[in-house]
Amino acid sequence: MHANDLHRSSRKPTGPDAMLFEIQRLSTEDGPGIRTTVFFKGCSLACAWCHNPESISARPQLHWLASRCIGCGTCCTVCPESALDLTAEGIVIDRGRCTLCGECAAECPSTAMEIIGTRWGLDDLVREVLKDRAYFARSNGGVTASGGEPLLQAPFLSAFLKALKQEGVHTAVDTCGCFPAAALADVLPHTDLVLYDLKEIDPERHRRFTGRSNEQILDNLRTIGTRMESGVSPQELWIRTPVIPDATATAASIVGIGQWIGAHLPGLVARWELCAFNNLCQDKYQRLDRDWPYKHQPLLTQDTMERLADAARHSGVDPDTVHWSGNTRMPAAKQHGRTDPSPQMSTA
Amino acid sequence: MTTAVQFQESPPLKAPGQLSPRIAWLREYYFKGADRKWNNQFLAWSTGTPWDVQFNEMTFYIVPETYTLLQTLRGSFRQAARDVDLPEAFWSWSLPERRAWFVREVMVNHVPREILPGDLLAGARFNLQTSLCLTKTEQKTFDEALLGSNGARARMKWFHDHGYGNTGATSGHLVPDHARALQIGWQGIHADLSRCYESLSPEDQMGPRGAQLRAMMAAATMPRDLAAAYGDLCRQMAQTATDDQRREELRQMAANLKRVPWEPPRTFWEAVQALWLNHMLIMSDENYPGPGVSFGRIDQYLLPYWQTALKEGMDRAFGKEVLKCFWIHCNTVYDAMIRNGRQGITSGFGQLITLAGLGPDGQDMTNDLTYAILEVIDEMSPILEPKPNVRLHRNSPPELLDKVVGMISGSQGAPFLLNFDERAMAGMMREAERGGCRHMIRPDNVHDYAPVGCLENTMVGNDRSGTVDNNLNLLKAVELALTGGRDLLPFTNPMTGKTEPIQQDGPATGDAATFDRWEDFWNAYEAQTDYIIRKCVDTYEASESARARFFPTPYLSCLVRGCAEKGLDVTRGGAELSFTTLEAVTFATTVDSLLAIKYLVFDNHKCTLAELIDALKANWQGFEVLQATARNKAPKYGRDDDAADVMARKVMDLWCDLTWQHRTQSTKRQFRPGMLSWNYWAGDGFVMAASADGRPRGQFLSNAICPSNGADIKGPTANANSVGKVLGGRSGDGRADWGDTFNCLPNGASHTITFHPAIIRDPEHQAKFKAFLQGYAENGGTCLQVNMLDPDMLRDAQQNPQDYPHLLVRITGYNAYFTAIGKELQNEVIERVSHQGY
Repeated sequence: MHANDLHRSSRKPTGPDAMLFEIQRLSTEDGPGIRTTVFFKGCSLACAWCHNPESISARPQLHWLASRCIGCGTCCTVCPESALDLTAEGIVIDRGRCTLCGECAAECPSTAMEIIGTRWGLDDLVREVLKDRAYFARSNGGVTASGGEPLLQAPFLSAFLKALKQEGVHTAVDTCGCFPAAALADVLPHTDLVLYDLKEIDPERHRRFTGRSNEQILDNLRTIGTRMESGVSPQELWIRTPVIPDATATAASIVGIGQWIGAHLPGLVARWELCAFNNLCQDKYQRLDRDWPYKHQPLLTQDTMERLADAARHSGVDPDTVHWSGNTRMPAAKQHGRTDPSPQMSTA
Repeated sequence: MTTAVQFQESPPLKAPGQLSPRIAWLREYYFKGADRKWNNQFLAWSTGTPWDVQFNEMTFYIVPETYTLLQTLRGSFRQAARDVDLPEAFWSWSLPERRAWFVREVMVNHVPREILPGDLLAGARFNLQTSLCLTKTEQKTFDEALLGSNGARARMKWFHDHGYGNTGATSGHLVPDHARALQIGWQGIHADLSRCYESLSPEDQMGPRGAQLRAMMAAATMPRDLAAAYGDLCRQMAQTATDDQRREELRQMAANLKRVPWEPPRTFWEAVQALWLNHMLIMSDENYPGPGVSFGRIDQYLLPYWQTALKEGMDRAFGKEVLKCFWIHCNTVYDAMIRNGRQGITSGFGQLITLAGLGPDGQDMTNDLTYAILEVIDEMSPILEPKPNVRLHRNSPPELLDKVVGMISGSQGAPFLLNFDERAMAGMMREAERGGCRHMIRPDNVHDYAPVGCLENTMVGNDRSGTVDNNLNLLKAVELALTGGRDLLPFTNPMTGKTEPIQQDGPATGDAATFDRWEDFWNAYEAQTDYIIRKCVDTYEASESARARFFPTPYLSCLVRGCAEKGLDVTRGGAELSFTTLEAVTFATTVDSLLAIKYLVFDNHKCTLAELIDALKANWQGFEVLQATARNKAPKYGRDDDAADVMARKVMDLWCDLTWQHRTQSTKRQFRPGMLSWNYWAGDGFVMAASADGRPRGQFLSNAICPSNGADIKGPTANANSVGKVLGGRSGDGRADWGDTFNCLPNGASHTITFHPAIIRDPEHQAKFKAFLQGYAENGGTCLQVNMLDPDMLRDAQQNPQDYPHLLVRITGYNAYFTAIGKELQNEVIERVSHQGY
């Protein structure tokens, strides 16, 4: 799914609409069962390690995919602002001039110029995600609203989840927790499961990593816990913690989160997932003309993840709720018999 | 292609497991291939006449790789053939009687008999090339029909050279009536044949029906006499056996063979022995090793024997041991041309077995034997034959799904095909309606259907539907609509280097460049589709009529209901259900090309039709921007995009309706629609000109009902939904072909989806994959082949990123296009998928 498809499939919305950057079907990593995950664009945090940098800005963004470009120069020709230049290194975007009018993406024959971010109307979006309800039904799956921070678009989100609940579809919201508390009252009544990011308990470290303190995040999470204790939706709460080298990947950090969960959400967390740092997104930063401090950062080792998961299990939570996921570092690359010996295939 | 991935580890390569020393030895011995002392290669036999021929080339007409070998094979079998002494009256008999006698004589009295060490089943060599048994005049007539300037071979060659596809009357591809052959034995079949013969009038007895029944009666004694001869061999071997256990086994085998397959089996071992002999002699009779000679619902008709044997004390492990011997025997089909390597026809036969599935009144028929056979497959894999097809439905038991998903997780992709009952049965019910056979295919028996070959659905024991006989490139009609009925590019004969002038082949639908409306182009497409189907029907007739006249298979006819009653060979339309299937090839390429023409020319004016034709003639050279627009901007089938899928439905409905209108002249077999592409979508990509969807000549066409390569950017669920929709979807009011389900393709349609192995990496994800299969049963097609993303594909994507712009690598919520990430990371992803060094 890329922006052009979104663009094409959405009609002029008449009612409420949302800014999305992706719809992922057969999603197996965002809650129980088979799900369709709707990624809302715009985030209240700016985590240094963010793996979906295109999710941070609430506005559409233009990027250029070198691997798709056929070098025809159509984009440069059609750009009314002369913001694009075909150079030896490929297309260079003058972001000062670009008005995001979308002409280049519309005319690019190879979809190398792409606008990330499309407005979706409510009815269209509901229709789109219901296409896979046959797969949801047998697996306790459903629809997950993710982002970005979906609660920044709370009125739409609430209407969207409500429509899904009317159709009998399981709903999940994947949130970073940083949003005005009032949004919760709109959204939670229609939410079966909350996937809540807890990245760091120490407010100062949290500010350093994400740009914001975690007070509001912890407040909102307490509110959810209180609702659950009184038997009001959501029925289920999962905590997710990104495990980031030189940041959250320390036993102290993990134990801190575990202790907080143990103290404030006793018996309420069905699953606490430690998500290993991933570096596949470095090219996305490049395409958005942004530098990424983690671009040379290797993956964590399996030992580290096991060790941190073990620390989590002993931090005061129900140890059975602790899981970890994601890629870990490969052992030193070996030359294998089957590998193509040509130089471009060899691993560094 | 969008592939959702997450992974920590990929599974280790599948290795066989839990094999006894006996089976381990047999399996290992089999895989020595050409180094084996014993093998089952074709042995050729002659009547000794100077005009004698063995090789029936028509059964290879659907295998373009063999076209250049046809003459050589004809000559080499003839040269290698050993003479068989004929009885005096031989030449006074009818052709079916000659043929029945000859095959029986060769199998019973000439072909060497061996039992491999430890083998629990008799019946080793069966690959034959027997004389066609024709008189000089018959042979002359046959050769003219075959080799004349307008003969079957020339017509089939023209059809293929010009990009239409291929067609030919092909052996096998049916499920014989094994259940009945076990229930009443050959003794019972023979008695039935005698009754049919006795009931004929004296005139009919003197005529072709009488001759056919006499031939079938002669053929019906072949298994009895061959079993007796193998029984003698077992007894002799028992006398010299030094090992007590082996001696006892050989004695028991001799005892089994004394009874079966002439009399009905009493034990499981006897039943499997009988089934093997009954099956292998079909391949002898047809002179072709097992192309789609399928077993049907083996876990149903063998179940009573299995249960009785277990009750009477048979060790379950021993029952599986007998089955594993059966597995080894099935694989020896590949020995037919063992010295010529395994290309083309020898690379996949499809002696298909069917497991599980629905029974009467919606009940599930999964049983203990189903699981035992799945265990056998698991323990024997990787091994090619017999090919399993597991029937799933909306209420398949969770245990079966767990076993199926577990086996997929342990192998590189599924070691079986998955058939989906509701959709498949809907197709058979459509056939009942469109084929006028509602008395044969009914709501109360349609659950007895079984696939043959790979996934081609037929009824069982009374049905030959020519499921691989006609393979038509629908895309040819788009080409002819663009040109007004003429090839886009002239054909150059690679042997002679001569270029043929372009001719008016199809109807003159006018100069497409003058069309102002999309509807005009569609009308031309309709007319050309009608033409290419007629062309296929006519070309098929050449080999179908020749086979009907000159290549009877009386032994096989004994195992197909309808032949005895009608006194008509199965090759002459004797089966109660006698269809021939038109398999559409290039479906998605055709749909996407039409969508692209509409998008580029009529809706968005990106080019004129004349410019598009120029681009296709130039193989897109110099038209790269237009090609990229066609590839990337025009809508595509397979994305669950209703607008595009409506076009797919239109294409589907058109060719299905036209297909049902035809019948063979010689054998009165009605054509029915299906979608199987075997390997043609690859090979014919070099034969067919560039297409409007952006595909250059030389790039693969689309496979069966699958979306075009790389077009399914919305992932597997969207892909499956599109497939289900074009087959007809489901009705809102619960009224459809079967229950609430429609299916316009009785044959079914081949559908392959590639997943990243991460989708089955742990029990939690295996449960999700199970749910995908359950969702597929609701929304998808008739048959699914599950592939797991392999490192070769990723390496190809690394080197040819333009072919994989949408290959998505997904890791716990982080998305990246594989081709857009750096080379080092790509290498790491490849390394993880291939899991080498772990």
